[in-house]
Amino acid sequence: MDFRKLQSANKIKSTELLFGMAILIGLVVWALLTYFGNSGIGVVPIAIGIALLSVWGSYWASDTIVLTMTGARLISESDNKQLYDLVTEVCIAASLPVPKIAIVEDDAPNAFATGRNQDHAVIAFTTGILRVMDREELQGVAAHELAHVANRDTLVSAIAATTAGALALLSDFMMRIMIFGGGGRRNDESNDQSPVALIASLIILILAPLAALLLRLAISRKREALADATAVAFTRNPTGLRRALEVLARDSTVVHQRSNAIAHVWIESPLDGSKTSQLFSTHPPLAERIATLRAMEGSAGI
Amino acid sequence: MSVLILILAVVIIIALLAIISRNNLVKSNIGVDESWSQIEVQLKRRSDLIPNLVETVKGYASHESSTLEAIVAARAKSTSATTVQETAVADGQLTQALRGLLAVTENYPDLKASTNFLALQEELSTTENKVSFARQLYNDRVRVLNTAIKTFPSSLFVSSAKVSVRPFYEVDDPQDRKAPQVKF
Repeated sequence: MDFRKLQSANKIKSTELLFGMAILIGLVVWALLTYFGNSGIGVVPIAIGIALLSVWGSYWASDTIVLTMTGARLISESDNKQLYDLVTEVCIAASLPVPKIAIVEDDAPNAFATGRNQDHAVIAFTTGILRVMDREELQGVAAHELAHVANRDTLVSAIAATTAGALALLSDFMMRIMIFGGGGRRNDESNDQSPVALIASLIILILAPLAALLLRLAISRKREALADATAVAFTRNPTGLRRALEVLARDSTVVHQRSNAIAHVWIESPLDGSKTSQLFSTHPPLAERIATLRAMEGSAGI
Repeated sequence: MSVLILILAVVIIIALLAIISRNNLVKSNIGVDESWSQIEVQLKRRSDLIPNLVETVKGYASHESSTLEAIVAARAKSTSATTVQETAVADGQLTQALRGLLAVTENYPDLKASTNFLALQEELSTTENKVSFARQLYNDRVRVLNTAIKTFPSSLFVSSAKVSVRPFYEVDDPQDRKAPQVKF
Protein backbone atom coordinates (compact mmCIF):
# COMPACT_ATOMS: atom_id res chain seq x y z
CA MET A 1 0.00 0.00 0.00
CA ASP A 2 1.32 3.41 -0.99
CA PHE A 3 1.35 6.16 1.65
CA ARG A 4 0.80 8.85 -0.99
CA LYS A 5 -2.45 7.20 -2.12
CA LEU A 6 -3.56 6.76 1.49
CA GLN A 7 -2.82 10.43 2.18
CA SER A 8 -4.91 11.72 -0.70
CA ALA A 9 -7.72 9.20 -0.09
CA ASN A 10 -8.07 10.28 3.54
CA LYS A 11 -7.84 13.96 2.63
CA ILE A 12 -10.64 13.56 0.09
CA LYS A 13 -12.81 11.59 2.52
CA SER A 14 -12.46 14.12 5.32
CA THR A 15 -13.23 16.98 2.92
CA GLU A 16 -16.34 15.13 1.74
CA LEU A 17 -17.43 14.75 5.35
CA LEU A 18 -16.96 18.49 5.92
CA PHE A 19 -19.18 19.08 2.88
CA GLY A 20 -21.66 16.69 4.49
CA MET A 21 -21.74 19.02 7.47
CA ALA A 22 -22.41 22.01 5.19
CA ILE A 23 -25.31 20.10 3.62
CA LEU A 24 -26.62 19.30 7.09
CA ILE A 25 -26.65 23.01 7.95
CA GLY A 26 -28.55 23.68 4.74
CA LEU A 27 -31.12 21.02 5.66
CA VAL A 28 -31.59 22.45 9.15
CA VAL A 29 -32.09 25.97 7.82
CA TRP A 30 -34.65 24.59 5.35
CA ALA A 31 -36.39 22.75 8.19
CA LEU A 32 -36.47 25.95 10.26
CA LEU A 33 -37.98 27.94 7.43
CA THR A 34 -40.54 25.23 6.77
CA TYR A 35 -41.56 24.77 10.36
CA PHE A 36 -41.38 28.28 11.75
CA GLY A 37 -41.53 30.46 8.66
CA ASN A 38 -39.31 33.47 8.27
CA SER A 39 -39.54 34.38 11.95
CA GLY A 40 -37.46 31.33 12.86
CA ILE A 41 -34.43 32.34 10.82
CA GLY A 42 -33.24 34.87 13.42
CA VAL A 43 -31.89 32.14 15.70
CA VAL A 44 -29.44 30.87 13.04
CA PRO A 45 -26.90 33.70 13.43
CA ILE A 46 -27.29 33.52 17.22
CA ALA A 47 -26.51 29.79 17.31
CA ILE A 48 -23.60 30.12 14.90
CA GLY A 49 -22.31 33.12 16.85
CA ILE A 50 -22.36 31.27 20.17
CA ALA A 51 -20.71 28.20 18.63
CA LEU A 52 -18.04 30.35 16.97
CA LEU A 53 -17.26 32.21 20.19
CA SER A 54 -16.99 29.06 22.29
CA VAL A 55 -14.94 27.01 19.81
CA TRP A 56 -12.69 29.63 18.24
CA GLY A 57 -11.47 31.03 21.52
CA SER A 58 -10.23 27.58 22.45
CA TYR A 59 -8.87 27.04 18.94
CA TRP A 60 -6.86 30.27 19.11
CA ALA A 61 -5.42 29.50 22.53
CA SER A 62 -5.39 25.71 22.06
CA ASP A 63 -1.71 25.37 22.93
CA THR A 64 -2.01 27.07 26.33
CA ILE A 65 -5.45 25.62 27.16
CA VAL A 66 -4.56 21.98 26.48
CA LEU A 67 -1.24 22.38 28.32
CA THR A 68 -3.08 23.69 31.38
CA MET A 69 -5.84 21.05 31.19
CA THR A 70 -3.38 18.16 31.01
CA GLY A 71 -0.81 19.70 33.37
CA ALA A 72 1.88 19.30 30.71
CA ARG A 73 5.31 20.73 31.42
CA LEU A 74 7.36 22.25 28.60
CA ILE A 75 10.88 20.86 28.28
CA SER A 76 14.05 22.09 26.61
CA GLU A 77 16.80 20.22 24.79
CA SER A 78 18.85 19.61 27.93
CA ASP A 79 15.90 18.02 29.82
CA ASN A 80 15.56 15.12 27.42
CA LYS A 81 18.16 15.20 24.68
CA GLN A 82 16.99 12.06 22.91
CA LEU A 83 13.34 13.15 22.74
CA TYR A 84 14.32 16.60 21.52
CA ASP A 85 16.64 15.05 18.90
CA LEU A 86 14.11 12.61 17.49
CA VAL A 87 11.44 15.32 17.20
CA THR A 88 13.92 17.64 15.45
CA GLU A 89 14.79 14.85 13.01
CA VAL A 90 11.15 14.48 11.94
CA CYS A 91 10.86 18.27 11.66
CA ILE A 92 13.67 18.22 9.11
CA ALA A 93 11.91 15.50 7.10
CA ALA A 94 8.60 17.41 7.31
CA SER A 95 10.23 20.82 6.84
CA LEU A 96 8.37 22.14 9.89
CA PRO A 97 9.68 24.46 12.61
CA VAL A 98 10.56 22.57 15.80
CA PRO A 99 7.43 22.72 18.02
CA LYS A 100 7.30 23.21 21.76
CA ILE A 101 7.77 19.83 23.41
CA ALA A 102 5.96 18.96 26.65
CA ILE A 103 5.78 16.07 29.10
CA VAL A 104 2.60 14.99 30.93
CA GLU A 105 3.03 13.15 34.22
CA ASP A 106 0.91 10.08 33.50
CA ASP A 107 1.62 6.36 33.61
CA ALA A 108 -0.49 5.60 30.55
CA PRO A 109 1.49 5.70 27.30
CA ASN A 110 0.01 8.41 25.09
CA ALA A 111 0.89 11.59 23.19
CA PHE A 112 -0.86 14.55 21.58
CA ALA A 113 -0.34 17.58 19.37
CA THR A 114 -2.18 20.89 19.43
CA GLY A 115 -1.77 24.55 18.53
CA ARG A 116 -3.51 26.75 15.97
CA ASN A 117 -0.67 26.61 13.40
CA GLN A 118 2.82 25.25 12.94
CA ASP A 119 4.38 28.25 14.71
CA HIS A 120 2.24 27.68 17.82
CA ALA A 121 2.41 23.91 17.82
CA VAL A 122 2.94 21.86 20.96
CA ILE A 123 3.52 18.14 21.04
CA ALA A 124 3.31 16.33 24.35
CA PHE A 125 4.30 12.87 25.54
CA THR A 126 3.29 11.16 28.76
CA THR A 127 6.00 9.91 31.10
CA GLY A 128 4.50 6.45 30.48
CA ILE A 129 5.14 6.51 26.73
CA LEU A 130 8.73 7.66 27.27
CA ARG A 131 9.27 4.69 29.58
CA VAL A 132 7.78 1.91 27.42
CA MET A 133 8.92 2.90 23.93
CA ASP A 134 12.32 2.79 22.26
CA ARG A 135 13.76 5.51 20.05
CA GLU A 136 12.31 4.20 16.78
CA GLU A 137 8.81 3.78 18.25
CA LEU A 138 8.88 7.25 19.81
CA GLN A 139 9.94 8.65 16.47
CA GLY A 140 6.88 7.04 14.85
CA VAL A 141 4.70 8.69 17.50
CA ALA A 142 6.43 12.05 17.03
CA ALA A 143 5.90 11.76 13.27
CA HIS A 144 2.17 11.05 13.81
CA GLU A 145 1.84 14.11 16.04
CA LEU A 146 3.81 16.33 13.66
CA ALA A 147 1.58 15.04 10.85
CA HIS A 148 -1.39 16.53 12.76
CA VAL A 149 0.51 19.82 12.88
CA ALA A 150 1.38 19.69 9.16
CA ASN A 151 -2.21 18.74 8.21
CA ARG A 152 -3.62 21.55 10.38
CA ASP A 153 -5.89 19.16 12.26
CA THR A 154 -6.53 21.59 15.10
CA LEU A 155 -8.21 23.81 12.49
CA VAL A 156 -10.16 20.91 10.95
CA SER A 157 -11.47 19.77 14.31
CA ALA A 158 -12.34 23.37 15.25
CA ILE A 159 -14.43 23.70 12.08
CA ALA A 160 -16.14 20.38 12.76
CA ALA A 161 -16.76 21.34 16.40
CA THR A 162 -18.22 24.72 15.44
CA THR A 163 -20.64 23.17 12.97
CA ALA A 164 -21.68 20.40 15.32
CA GLY A 165 -22.06 22.92 18.18
CA ALA A 166 -24.16 25.32 16.11
CA LEU A 167 -26.44 22.49 14.99
CA ALA A 168 -26.87 21.24 18.55
CA LEU A 169 -27.78 24.76 19.71
CA LEU A 170 -30.22 25.30 16.85
CA SER A 171 -31.96 22.04 17.49
CA ASP A 172 -32.12 22.83 21.20
CA PHE A 173 -33.65 26.29 20.57
CA MET A 174 -36.26 24.79 18.27
CA MET A 175 -37.26 22.09 20.68
CA ARG A 176 -37.76 24.66 23.40
CA ILE A 177 -39.86 26.88 21.15
CA MET A 178 -41.95 23.89 20.09
CA ILE A 179 -42.52 22.72 23.63
CA PHE A 180 -42.91 26.04 25.43
CA GLY A 181 -43.90 28.30 22.55
CA GLY A 182 -47.48 27.03 22.18
CA GLY A 183 -47.09 24.48 19.44
CA GLY A 184 -44.67 26.17 17.13
CA ARG A 185 -45.96 27.54 13.87
CA ARG A 186 -48.17 30.55 14.29
CA ASN A 187 -51.41 30.44 12.36
CA ASP A 188 -50.98 33.89 10.88
CA GLU A 189 -47.95 32.73 8.87
CA SER A 190 -48.90 32.99 5.25
CA ASN A 191 -46.76 30.17 3.82
CA ASP A 192 -48.73 27.01 4.12
CA GLN A 193 -46.66 23.85 4.02
CA SER A 194 -47.70 20.32 3.32
CA PRO A 195 -47.82 17.99 6.34
CA VAL A 196 -45.12 15.84 4.75
CA ALA A 197 -42.70 18.79 4.66
CA LEU A 198 -43.58 19.66 8.25
CA ILE A 199 -42.93 16.13 9.49
CA ALA A 200 -39.70 15.92 7.47
CA SER A 201 -38.44 19.18 8.93
CA LEU A 202 -39.33 18.05 12.44
CA ILE A 203 -37.36 14.83 11.92
CA ILE A 204 -34.41 16.81 10.55
CA LEU A 205 -34.42 19.11 13.58
CA ILE A 206 -34.51 16.16 15.97
CA LEU A 207 -31.80 14.11 14.21
CA ALA A 208 -29.44 16.91 13.16
CA PRO A 209 -27.36 17.05 16.38
CA LEU A 210 -26.80 13.29 16.31
CA ALA A 211 -25.90 13.36 12.62
CA ALA A 212 -23.50 16.26 13.25
CA LEU A 213 -21.85 14.36 16.10
CA LEU A 214 -21.41 11.26 13.95
CA LEU A 215 -19.97 13.35 11.10
CA ARG A 216 -17.59 15.07 13.50
CA LEU A 217 -16.33 11.73 14.82
CA ALA A 218 -16.00 10.31 11.31
CA ILE A 219 -13.90 13.35 10.35
CA SER A 220 -11.72 12.79 13.42
CA ARG A 221 -11.17 9.14 12.44
CA LYS A 222 -10.25 10.05 8.85
CA ARG A 223 -7.78 12.68 10.08
CA GLU A 224 -6.18 10.06 12.36
CA ALA A 225 -5.76 7.68 9.42
CA LEU A 226 -4.37 10.60 7.40
CA ALA A 227 -1.89 11.42 10.18
CA ASP A 228 -0.64 7.80 10.13
CA ALA A 229 -0.08 7.97 6.36
CA THR A 230 1.58 11.40 6.61
CA ALA A 231 3.83 10.12 9.42
CA VAL A 232 5.08 7.42 7.04
CA ALA A 233 5.65 10.07 4.38
CA PHE A 234 7.90 11.88 6.89
CA THR A 235 9.94 8.97 8.24
CA ARG A 236 9.52 6.40 5.41
CA ASN A 237 9.49 3.95 8.26
CA PRO A 238 6.04 2.40 8.86
CA THR A 239 7.62 -0.15 11.21
CA GLY A 240 8.36 2.39 13.96
CA LEU A 241 4.78 3.68 14.18
CA ARG A 242 3.35 0.17 13.74
CA ARG A 243 5.42 -1.14 16.66
CA ALA A 244 4.45 1.90 18.72
CA LEU A 245 0.74 1.22 18.12
CA GLU A 246 1.29 -2.42 19.06
CA VAL A 247 2.78 -1.27 22.35
CA LEU A 248 -0.32 0.89 22.89
CA ALA A 249 -2.59 -2.04 21.99
CA ARG A 250 -0.88 -4.29 24.55
CA ASP A 251 -1.01 -1.64 27.24
CA SER A 252 -4.02 -1.60 29.50
CA THR A 253 -3.33 1.54 31.51
CA VAL A 254 -5.83 4.25 30.71
CA VAL A 255 -4.93 7.92 30.76
CA HIS A 256 -6.15 9.45 34.00
CA GLN A 257 -7.53 12.40 32.17
CA ARG A 258 -10.59 10.81 30.68
CA SER A 259 -12.09 14.16 29.78
CA ASN A 260 -14.28 13.94 26.69
CA ALA A 261 -13.37 17.52 25.83
CA ILE A 262 -9.83 16.69 24.77
CA ALA A 263 -10.18 12.98 23.92
CA HIS A 264 -9.56 13.65 20.23
CA VAL A 265 -6.12 15.16 20.72
CA TRP A 266 -4.39 11.99 21.95
CA ILE A 267 -2.70 9.48 19.63
CA GLU A 268 -4.78 6.68 21.14
CA SER A 269 -8.28 7.32 22.43
CA PRO A 270 -7.97 7.77 26.22
CA LEU A 271 -11.61 6.70 26.65
CA ASP A 272 -12.32 3.01 27.02
CA GLY A 273 -12.81 1.87 23.44
CA SER A 274 -14.47 -1.45 24.14
CA LYS A 275 -17.62 0.05 25.63
CA THR A 276 -18.42 2.49 22.87
CA SER A 277 -19.24 1.38 19.37
CA GLN A 278 -16.77 2.21 16.63
CA LEU A 279 -19.24 4.76 15.25
CA PHE A 280 -18.82 6.88 18.38
CA SER A 281 -15.04 6.71 18.52
CA THR A 282 -12.63 9.57 17.78
CA HIS A 283 -9.97 7.14 16.49
CA PRO A 284 -10.02 4.17 14.10
CA PRO A 285 -9.48 0.86 15.93
CA LEU A 286 -5.79 0.22 16.72
CA ALA A 287 -5.93 -3.18 14.97
CA GLU A 288 -7.02 -1.50 11.74
CA ARG A 289 -4.29 1.14 11.96
CA ILE A 290 -1.65 -1.52 12.64
CA ALA A 291 -2.83 -3.59 9.65
CA THR A 292 -2.66 -0.54 7.35
CA LEU A 293 0.88 0.28 8.50
CA ARG A 294 1.93 -3.35 8.09
CA ALA A 295 0.65 -3.25 4.50
CA MET A 296 2.84 -0.20 3.88
CA GLU A 297 6.00 -1.96 5.08
CA GLY A 298 8.26 -2.94 2.20
CA SER A 299 6.03 -1.26 -0.39
CA ALA A 300 7.09 1.11 -3.16
CA GLY A 301 8.35 4.54 -2.22
CA ILE A 302 9.52 3.59 1.26
CA MET B 1 -19.89 42.83 -26.94
CA SER B 2 -20.41 39.42 -25.33
CA VAL B 3 -17.80 37.94 -27.68
CA LEU B 4 -15.35 40.56 -26.48
CA ILE B 5 -16.02 39.66 -22.84
CA LEU B 6 -15.57 35.98 -23.66
CA ILE B 7 -12.21 36.63 -25.32
CA LEU B 8 -11.14 38.81 -22.41
CA ALA B 9 -12.10 36.07 -19.93
CA VAL B 10 -10.15 33.44 -21.85
CA VAL B 11 -7.10 35.72 -22.01
CA ILE B 12 -7.29 36.40 -18.26
CA ILE B 13 -7.59 32.70 -17.45
CA ILE B 14 -4.61 31.82 -19.65
CA ALA B 15 -2.56 34.63 -18.09
CA LEU B 16 -3.44 33.42 -14.58
CA LEU B 17 -2.48 29.82 -15.45
CA ALA B 18 0.82 31.08 -16.87
CA ILE B 19 1.59 33.10 -13.72
CA ILE B 20 0.69 30.17 -11.46
CA SER B 21 2.82 27.62 -13.33
CA ARG B 22 5.79 29.99 -13.58
CA ASN B 23 5.54 30.78 -9.84
CA ASN B 24 5.36 27.07 -9.09
CA LEU B 25 8.63 26.53 -10.92
CA VAL B 26 10.33 29.36 -9.03
CA LYS B 27 8.94 28.14 -5.69
CA SER B 28 10.00 24.53 -6.32
CA ASN B 29 13.47 25.76 -7.20
CA ILE B 30 13.68 27.74 -3.93
CA GLY B 31 12.46 24.62 -2.12
CA VAL B 32 15.30 22.59 -3.60
CA ASP B 33 17.84 25.27 -2.61
CA GLU B 34 16.46 25.38 0.94
CA SER B 35 16.65 21.63 1.42
CA TRP B 36 20.14 21.58 -0.09
CA SER B 37 21.34 24.07 2.51
CA GLN B 38 19.70 21.89 5.19
CA ILE B 39 21.85 18.96 3.97
CA GLU B 40 24.94 21.17 4.15
CA VAL B 41 24.08 22.31 7.69
CA GLN B 42 23.70 18.71 8.87
CA LEU B 43 26.85 17.49 7.10
CA LYS B 44 28.76 20.36 8.73
CA ARG B 45 27.39 19.38 12.13
CA ARG B 46 28.51 15.81 11.61
CA SER B 47 31.90 16.95 10.40
CA ASP B 48 32.32 19.07 13.55
CA LEU B 49 31.60 16.07 15.76
CA ILE B 50 34.39 13.98 14.31
CA PRO B 51 37.51 15.51 16.00
CA ASN B 52 35.87 15.02 19.40
CA LEU B 53 34.85 11.46 18.49
CA VAL B 54 38.34 10.59 17.27
CA GLU B 55 39.92 11.98 20.45
CA THR B 56 37.53 10.03 22.68
CA VAL B 57 38.04 6.74 20.85
CA LYS B 58 41.84 7.22 20.74
CA GLY B 59 41.95 7.39 24.53
CA TYR B 60 40.50 3.87 24.82
CA ALA B 61 41.40 2.16 21.56
CA SER B 62 44.69 3.60 20.34
CA HIS B 63 45.55 0.64 18.10
CA GLU B 64 42.48 1.17 15.91
CA SER B 65 44.44 3.88 14.12
CA SER B 66 43.58 2.62 10.60
CA THR B 67 39.83 2.99 11.27
CA LEU B 68 40.40 6.44 12.71
CA GLU B 69 42.53 7.49 9.76
CA ALA B 70 39.80 6.35 7.37
CA ILE B 71 37.37 8.64 9.18
CA VAL B 72 39.70 11.63 9.12
CA ALA B 73 40.36 11.07 5.40
CA ALA B 74 36.64 10.76 4.62
CA ARG B 75 35.96 13.92 6.59
CA ALA B 76 38.62 15.84 4.67
CA LYS B 77 37.12 14.70 1.39
CA SER B 78 33.59 15.69 2.44
CA THR B 79 34.63 19.22 3.42
CA SER B 80 36.27 19.82 0.04
CA ALA B 81 33.31 18.48 -2.01
CA THR B 82 31.46 21.10 -4.04
CA THR B 83 28.98 19.46 -6.43
CA VAL B 84 25.95 17.41 -5.40
CA GLN B 85 27.53 14.18 -6.67
CA GLU B 86 30.85 14.78 -4.91
CA THR B 87 29.11 15.65 -1.66
CA ALA B 88 26.91 12.56 -1.91
CA VAL B 89 29.85 10.25 -2.53
CA ALA B 90 31.91 11.76 0.31
CA ASP B 91 28.85 11.61 2.61
CA GLY B 92 28.39 7.91 1.81
CA GLN B 93 32.07 7.16 2.52
CA LEU B 94 32.01 9.02 5.81
CA THR B 95 28.85 7.18 6.85
CA GLN B 96 30.58 3.87 6.04
CA ALA B 97 33.72 4.85 7.96
CA LEU B 98 31.70 5.92 11.00
CA ARG B 99 29.75 2.69 10.91
CA GLY B 100 33.04 0.79 10.80
CA LEU B 101 34.36 2.69 13.82
CA LEU B 102 31.21 2.10 15.84
CA ALA B 103 31.35 -1.60 15.02
CA VAL B 104 34.92 -1.68 16.32
CA THR B 105 33.97 0.08 19.57
CA GLU B 106 31.92 -3.02 20.49
CA ASN B 107 35.24 -4.58 21.54
CA TYR B 108 35.99 -1.85 24.10
CA PRO B 109 33.58 -2.04 27.04
CA ASP B 110 35.37 0.80 28.86
CA LEU B 111 34.85 3.09 25.90
CA LYS B 112 31.21 2.07 25.52
CA ALA B 113 30.60 2.82 29.19
CA SER B 114 32.17 6.26 29.18
CA THR B 115 29.64 9.07 29.50
CA ASN B 116 31.44 11.16 26.92
CA PHE B 117 31.11 8.38 24.37
CA LEU B 118 27.44 7.76 25.19
CA ALA B 119 26.67 11.43 24.61
CA LEU B 120 28.64 11.35 21.36
CA GLN B 121 26.77 8.25 20.26
CA GLU B 122 23.36 9.94 20.62
CA GLU B 123 24.73 13.05 18.92
CA LEU B 124 26.07 10.97 16.03
CA SER B 125 22.92 8.93 15.53
CA THR B 126 20.70 12.01 15.59
CA THR B 127 22.98 13.79 13.13
CA GLU B 128 23.06 10.74 10.88
CA ASN B 129 19.23 10.64 10.93
CA LYS B 130 19.06 14.36 10.25
CA VAL B 131 21.39 13.96 7.28
CA SER B 132 19.24 11.20 5.82
CA PHE B 133 15.96 13.08 6.41
CA ALA B 134 17.44 16.22 4.84
CA ARG B 135 18.51 14.06 1.90
CA GLN B 136 15.02 12.57 1.62
CA LEU B 137 13.42 16.06 1.62
CA TYR B 138 15.91 17.28 -0.97
CA ASN B 139 15.24 14.32 -3.28
CA ASP B 140 11.46 14.72 -2.91
CA ARG B 141 11.73 18.38 -3.85
CA VAL B 142 14.08 17.67 -6.76
CA ARG B 143 11.49 15.17 -8.00
CA VAL B 144 8.74 17.82 -7.81
CA LEU B 145 10.90 20.42 -9.61
CA ASN B 146 12.11 18.04 -12.31
CA THR B 147 8.56 16.83 -12.96
CA ALA B 148 7.34 20.42 -13.29
CA ILE B 149 10.19 21.24 -15.68
CA LYS B 150 9.31 18.33 -17.93
CA THR B 151 5.50 18.59 -17.92
CA PHE B 152 3.09 20.95 -19.65
CA PRO B 153 2.27 23.81 -19.08
CA SER B 154 5.08 24.66 -16.65
CA SER B 155 7.62 23.31 -19.18
CA LEU B 156 6.92 26.46 -21.26
CA PHE B 157 8.34 28.75 -18.56
CA VAL B 158 11.59 26.92 -17.79
CA SER B 159 13.82 29.52 -19.41
CA SER B 160 11.88 32.55 -18.16
CA ALA B 161 11.93 31.24 -14.58
CA LYS B 162 15.66 30.47 -14.93
CA VAL B 163 15.37 26.95 -13.51
CA SER B 164 17.00 23.74 -14.67
CA VAL B 165 16.79 20.02 -13.93
CA ARG B 166 18.59 19.34 -10.64
CA PRO B 167 20.57 16.20 -9.78
CA PHE B 168 19.31 13.74 -7.17
CA TYR B 169 21.40 13.21 -4.05
CA GLU B 170 22.39 9.60 -4.53
CA VAL B 171 24.33 7.75 -1.90
CA ASP B 172 26.14 4.60 -3.01
CA ASP B 173 25.07 2.58 -0.02
CA PRO B 174 21.71 0.99 -0.94
CA GLN B 175 21.11 -0.07 2.65
CA ASP B 176 21.39 3.56 3.65
CA ARG B 177 18.73 4.72 1.25
CA LYS B 178 16.29 2.03 2.31
CA ALA B 179 16.43 2.68 6.04
CA PRO B 180 16.84 6.22 7.34
CA GLN B 181 16.99 4.82 10.88
CA VAL B 182 20.63 4.39 11.76
CA LYS B 183 21.43 2.44 14.87
CA PHE B 184 24.91 2.82 16.23
